[in-house]
Amino acid sequence: MKTLTAFFLAAAACYPQALDLKHLERLAGKAAESTNVTLDGALLQLGAKFLSAEKPDEARVKKLVAGLKAIYVKSFEFDKEGEYSEADIASVRNQLHAPEWSKIVDVRSRKGGDNAEIFIKTGGKDIGGLVIIASEPKELTIVNIVGRIDLDELSDLGGNFGIPKMEFQRTPKPPSKDDE
Amino acid sequence: MTTSGAEGILERVHEGVERAGEGDVIAFAAIVRDHQSMVFSIAYHFLRDRGLAEEMGQEVFLELHRNFRSIESPAHLVFWLRKVVVRRCIDQARRRAFWPKLRLDEVPEPAVAARESDPMLSRALARLVASLPEKPRMVVILRFQEDLDPADIAELLDMPVATVKSHLQRALAILREKLARTVGEIAI
Amino acid sequence: MSYLEEDLKAALRRVEAPEDFAQRVLARAASPEARPASWWKELGRLLRPPRVQWVALSVIASVLIPVAGTEYRKQRQVRIEGEMAKDRLVFAMRFAGVKLHHTQQKVLGLTQTDNRL
Repeated sequence: MKTLTAFFLAAAACYPQALDLKHLERLAGKAAESTNVTLDGALLQLGAKFLSAEKPDEARVKKLVAGLKAIYVKSFEFDKEGEYSEADIASVRNQLHAPEWSKIVDVRSRKGGDNAEIFIKTGGKDIGGLVIIASEPKELTIVNIVGRIDLDELSDLGGNFGIPKMEFQRTPKPPSKDDE
Repeated sequence: MTTSGAEGILERVHEGVERAGEGDVIAFAAIVRDHQSMVFSIAYHFLRDRGLAEEMGQEVFLELHRNFRSIESPAHLVFWLRKVVVRRCIDQARRRAFWPKLRLDEVPEPAVAARESDPMLSRALARLVASLPEKPRMVVILRFQEDLDPADIAELLDMPVATVKSHLQRALAILREKLARTVGEIAI
Repeated sequence: MSYLEEDLKAALRRVEAPEDFAQRVLARAASPEARPASWWKELGRLLRPPRVQWVALSVIASVLIPVAGTEYRKQRQVRIEGEMAKDRLVFAMRFAGVKLHHTQQKVLGLTQTDNRL
C-alpha cells in the first residue's frame, strides 16, 4: 500500500502545472451530474495512439493533443443555485497568480450570472497551458490543459459539436406530484 | 412458497455465495446462471446491442469473480451486480456519444422473445427507451425491468431521489408523446 | 399503473442471456489474464470517491498492462483500454473546445455591443 501511495504521489508530481482541484470533489455529492476526466502521462499517450488519422474527427483531435501532457476536466451540474461558492472558484484562481499565467478573457454577466475566465500559461512563443473557469448559477466547470495547445483549433473543435447532453432540456418543474 | 421453503433457498444461496468466495467454481457458476439474465437484460435494454451486452455482462461477472470476497450477502450481491452493470453501461454510452448512432432497426432481436402483450408495441417501446439520454434511460430500465423504487434507483445511480423521480416523469412524458407518433405509423 | 407503464414492464422484461454465457464467463475467469491484480483494484477503490466518475483505475491499468506480446487476449485487453482512453480523450477535448467556443462567442457578442455603442 505504501508503494502504491508513493507511486500515485510521484505520478501527481509529474505535472506541476496541473491545478489542485481536490477541494472541488465534495461538490460531486451535491451535483445532479458530475463529469470528471483525468488524462495524463501514459493514459493520455495511450488514448492518443488510438486516435485514427483517417477519421476526420479523430484526426483533428490527434493533431490538437500532439503537444499535450495532461488534461483535466471537472464539471458539476446542480439542481438548484447556491450549491457552490465563490470561494470554490477563488481557490482555483489563486493558483493562477504566478507570472507565467495571464488572464486573457474575463466575461461577467450580471443578468444570467454566466461568467467565464480563460487563463493561458506562456512559455516562449507557445502556449504551455490553459485553464477555463466557466460558472453559471447551476453549473461549474473547470478545464485544465497542460502542454502545448492551439486555442483556435480547440475552439473550432468546440464550434462544431455540442457537449454530449446527458439530460433533458431544463424546464421549470411542474407542481410537486408523486408519479409513483 | 412456505416460509421454511423460502428460508431454505436463502440458506442455500448464502452457502453458495460463501463457497464462491472461497473459490468454489461450481458455486460461482450457479451464481452466474442465477443472475445472468438480470445483468444481460439491463445491458441489452440499455445498449440495444446484443453483442455489446454480452461482452459487458461477461465483464461484470469477471469483475465479480475478482471481487467476490467483498460480497457480504445475497442481497449485497444483487445490489453489487446492478451497480456495476449500470456504471459500465453509462460509461459505454458516453464513449459512444460521439459516434454515429447505430440505427436501431439494425439491432438483432433477442434470441428468446420476451413474453409480450403486443410484440410490435413492445419492440417500438424498447427502441424508444434506448433513444433516451443515458441517465433517464437507465432510470426507466431499473424501474420497469427490475421493478425498483426511486430510493433504490437513486442509490444505484448515485443521484438524489428527487432527480430520479424527475427523470422518470420526464421520460414517461417523452415516451408517451413519441409512442403516440410511432404507434400511429405502425397502424398505417 | 398506467397503460404505458404496463407496456414498459412488458417491453423491458428480462431476456435470456445467450445459452453458453455462463460457460464463457467461467472460461475467461479460469484464464491466467483474469487473475486479479487485486492490489491495483484496491488502489482504484481507494481513489474513487463516491458519485464521481474516475479514470484513476484506467490510469493504473493502462500503465501496467503489457503492450508487447502476441497473445490475443493481451492485445485485446490493450485495445479495449486504449479505446476507452481514446474516447475519454476525445470527450475531454471536445468538452474543452465547446467551453472555449462558447466563451469566445460571449466575448464577440460583447464586442459587437461595444462597437454599436
